[in-house]
Order: sequence, then C-alpha cells, then structure tokens
Amino acid sequence: MTAYDYAIVGNSAAAVNACDALRARDPRGTVGLFGEEKYRCYSRPLISYLVAGEINTQGMYYRPSGYYRSMGIDFHKGVRVEDIDPKRKILVTAQGERVKWRKLLLATGFTPFIPPIEGLDEVHYLTFVSWDDAKRMLRLTSKPVSALVVGAGLIGMKAAEALHARGAAVTVVEKMERVLPMALDAKASALVAERCGAKGIQVVTGEGVSRLEPKGAAKGLAVLEGGAEIAFDLLVMAVGVRPRTELAEKAGIPCAAGIEVDEYQRTALEDIYAAGDAARAMDVVMGEPAVNALWPVAALQGKYAGMNMAGGEIPYPGCNSMNAVEFFGLPVLSAGMVNPPDSSYQIISRQGEDGEYRKVVLKGDVLVGMLMAGKIERAGILTSLIQERANVRRVKNFLLDEGFGHINFPRSVRRGRIEEGVAGLKEAATKAVRGG
Amino acid sequence: MMRIVPKEEVCIGCRLCEIHCIVQHSKSKDIVKAFKREKRPVKRVEVEEQGHVSFALQCRHCDEAPCITACLSGAMHRDDASGAVINDPERCVGCWTCILVCPFGAVRRDEVERKAVGKCDLCPDLEIPACVANCPNEALILVEE
Repeated sequence: MTAYDYAIVGNSAAAVNACDALRARDPRGTVGLFGEEKYRCYSRPLISYLVAGEINTQGMYYRPSGYYRSMGIDFHKGVRVEDIDPKRKILVTAQGERVKWRKLLLATGFTPFIPPIEGLDEVHYLTFVSWDDAKRMLRLTSKPVSALVVGAGLIGMKAAEALHARGAAVTVVEKMERVLPMALDAKASALVAERCGAKGIQVVTGEGVSRLEPKGAAKGLAVLEGGAEIAFDLLVMAVGVRPRTELAEKAGIPCAAGIEVDEYQRTALEDIYAAGDAARAMDVVMGEPAVNALWPVAALQGKYAGMNMAGGEIPYPGCNSMNAVEFFGLPVLSAGMVNPPDSSYQIISRQGEDGEYRKVVLKGDVLVGMLMAGKIERAGILTSLIQERANVRRVKNFLLDEGFGHINFPRSVRRGRIEEGVAGLKEAATKAVRGG
Repeated sequence: MMRIVPKEEVCIGCRLCEIHCIVQHSKSKDIVKAFKREKRPVKRVEVEEQGHVSFALQCRHCDEAPCITACLSGAMHRDDASGAVINDPERCVGCWTCILVCPFGAVRRDEVERKAVGKCDLCPDLEIPACVANCPNEALILVEE
C-alpha cells in the first residue's frame, strides 16, 4: 500500500499553499496530492479572464509546469478521494486504491449551490466555477447568444462580464435588491450596476426566477416572479456556493456550515487538518469562525495548515471577508464589514466623480470595514488596520484622505511598521492601542 | 537580502527618489524622454508628507509577504536570487488583490496596462537602487541583511 507522510485532498489555493509551507519546514517528508480535476493547479478566479480572452490557457496555471516534481510531490491527477478512515489513517480513491497517510489535509473547496427552481431539470445550464465550465462557455458562445445569468454575486457578475466580452446579449437576475449584495454596499453596487448597464448588460434585481421552460433542443425561457419572461440560448446558475464537506462528514468530523477547525487548522479528529473554502476558520471582524470562500483566504489558511502539519505550532491569525474586483474598468475593493447591521457603527464616506467612492465603518475606535471604488491606491493600509483590530481614534478623520498613510501614525508606530516589515505589524498595532 | 530604510529625520521631501525611480523604470532611462516623450512609468516609491515631516516608502519585501499569498494568478512571487518580492507582468491580470492586502500601500496600478507593476523591484540592473543613489541627504539607506 502506498504511504505518505502528508496526504492532501484538493489541488487549489489551500492545497498548494499548504504544500509550499510544509515543504519549507520538512524537505524530506513524502507528500501525495489528490486532485479530482484533470488539470494541474490553476487559478479558479481566472476563468472569467480566460473566457473574456484576456489571458490564454498558459496564464491559467498558478504554478510553473514542473511544480510538483520540483517540490517532490506525488500528484494524483484526476483522482477523486471517496473515503477516509481516520482510525486506520487510510484514504480510498474512486479507483479503489487505498493509501496510508500520517497527516491529512482536507482542502475540498466548494460546490455550486443550485436552488430548486421549477423546470430546471428540463433545461440545459452551466455553472461557472471551473476550467471545464469555462471551456463549455467558450464553446457555447462561439456564435453570439442571448445569455441569462441567475445570481449577481461575484461569480454571476464575472460570468456576465465574460459573456459580454464574448459578444453575448446578457441579462442578470438577482433575487436581492442589488448586485454584489454581500461584497459591496448599496452605493458601490449602484456604481457597478451603472457600469454594467452602460455596456448593455441588463440587470434585474429584487426578483427571482420562478419557472424555467425548455424551448427546442438547447434554448429556454425563464419566467420571473413578477411575470416577465426572458428567452435565453444559454443559462448560467450562479446563486451561491456551499462548502464541500461530504468527505469530512462521512469520517465523523463536525461540520456546521463548513469543516470546523481550531486556530491551527486542525479538525476535531487527530492528524486531520482542513483549509480553504470548505473550512470554517476565524474571521477577526465577525469575532467568530466563518466560511469566507475567497482565494486569498484559502491560500492563507492552506499556508498555516501546511506549517502546522509539518510540526509548527503557529496559530492562524484569522482573516476577514475581502474582495478585489473590477468591472469594465471600475476597480472596487472591500474588506471586513461593509454593511453594518445596526446604528452602533459609525460610517464615514466620501463620493467623488467618475465612480470614485470611499467608505469606512467603525465600531467605537476600531476600524471594522472599508470600501474603495475608482481610486483604490493604498487601500491595503486600511485592510491591515482592520485585520489588526488597531485603535484608530487619532487618525479617524484622515482615513479617507487621499494622502492618508503612515505619516498619520504616531512616530513610534510608523517606525515599527516600516523597519520591521510585516513581522512588526502585530506589535505596531498593540502600540497603537496603547498610544490611542 | 537588501532592504531600503527611510530616515525621516533627514528627508527633505524633495521627491527626487520618485523622479529617479520613474526614470530608472522608463524605456530610455533619460529623464526628459521619460517624462515628456515616452509612456511615463508608474512610480514605485512614494513620499508621504505632512508639515515638516516626510519620508519615502516603497515595498518592504516582507518575509511573510501578504501580496504573494493573496495573489490570484501566482504573478507575485519571491525572486530566489535576490529575495525581492517581484510581480511578473506577464502573469498579472490586474485583479488588485495585492493592493487590497499590502499593509504599506506599496503597490500601484498601471491603469493603461491594467497590471500591478508599480512596486519596488530593488532596481535589479543597478548596484544601488536609483532612489537610494539619488537621495541628496541620505534619507534612504540600503541595509544588507
């Protein structure tokens, strides 16, 4: 029976960053990585760039071609893991192969959520989360088509933009009142919707699809809750995603809306770790574990899982919900809480011309959220203050200034940040609390 | 590993570092052509100023660089030879995640090319980076670690 010191289930951001981190600590341990897709590691968020023709297939790869070999990783390409036996420390592949492991990482990612809409089984539809989805979309848009995208979250809006680039006539339907309802606030949503509208993308919000009907071999008709009918040649379902927890659940690992992990990315079962879009880890802004199915968050969790699997005891610092997107030349960045739940939060915002908009959300003297549209330079300074839970009382009124930066911090804090690099961040934040 | 450290006590806020950074990353490396005739490069160093206090800041080339971990495409990487954090413009798609996570605000957009190229590369063709070499008051110093 094949045996590995480290078995990795998954082949995306969390899995690969875990490999990098554990290799840095353990150059010799054997590593087996199981990826069910028939690709070496690629960047999932880039599928919209691929469909739009902004990058070629070579640009999809997250690591160079010799990556697995150079890292000493046995890459099991196109191999799905069906079962894990936590007691005997064995995994079983779909082909029936049994593999022993010493430590296991579950980086199983997410799966698209398909809502039960009447008639959905009778029409053809696409999801937009994988390279195969992108290939299908490219094939189906070789001639101009009418496309309907259901769901105006990040996946749906990026699908809409890509379809538009392929010459499709695009309509987006969103049940909630506005586009990107989770990532953005109402004003930023309006800015994005306006850009999309100006490019000819129809956006219908506040209304879901109540029924779908097939029309001939491939086409269909959607009937909205308000009664309007939209004919389509191509349907994309992008309502949301769910963490893939089946494997963990079957093994008896607690999964409440995501595989539960501690600060070392360990699951409840010994020597089994989890990271990425399937895992529920600490969100520093929410103050409790949450699933943030975002590439940078998955990569960071993977990194900490890898370090700890290889003998480290380094707690994951936590993350926040952060997004960087651009629609038709309008960049929008957000971090932390952009839609505060009640009036105990303070909001400071500023709106300029040409899509320029900035906003910060504070709870007392702590920055908990930020949003920048149009001009986004130096947004990361705010993100780091959110991440570090720093006291910003002294700089509150300057946070949205274009010149805001380290110059606004007390000199000792500034020194700590600049001279010690990121290693000095935590300390600097503590100083800021004391200084404030 | 080389690092550039600002000394705010002696910085006079002249912004010559910004100018020489732009020249060094221009096509011709000629100051007049760089500013007047060619596509002007994005500056990779920024002078922060308030009253009499000023200092120049560029990428810290962090040991645990958040931009590398967060990069969607794998374009942001560490150069094995120099230890510098470098963005590969061929692989950069301009998603701006690096700008979202850089605690120093040290990455800028090239809005024409839609790439995150505006970050310090430690001037690989020079022995001493242009901003350090051209600072008139030694307010930027090079530290070898």
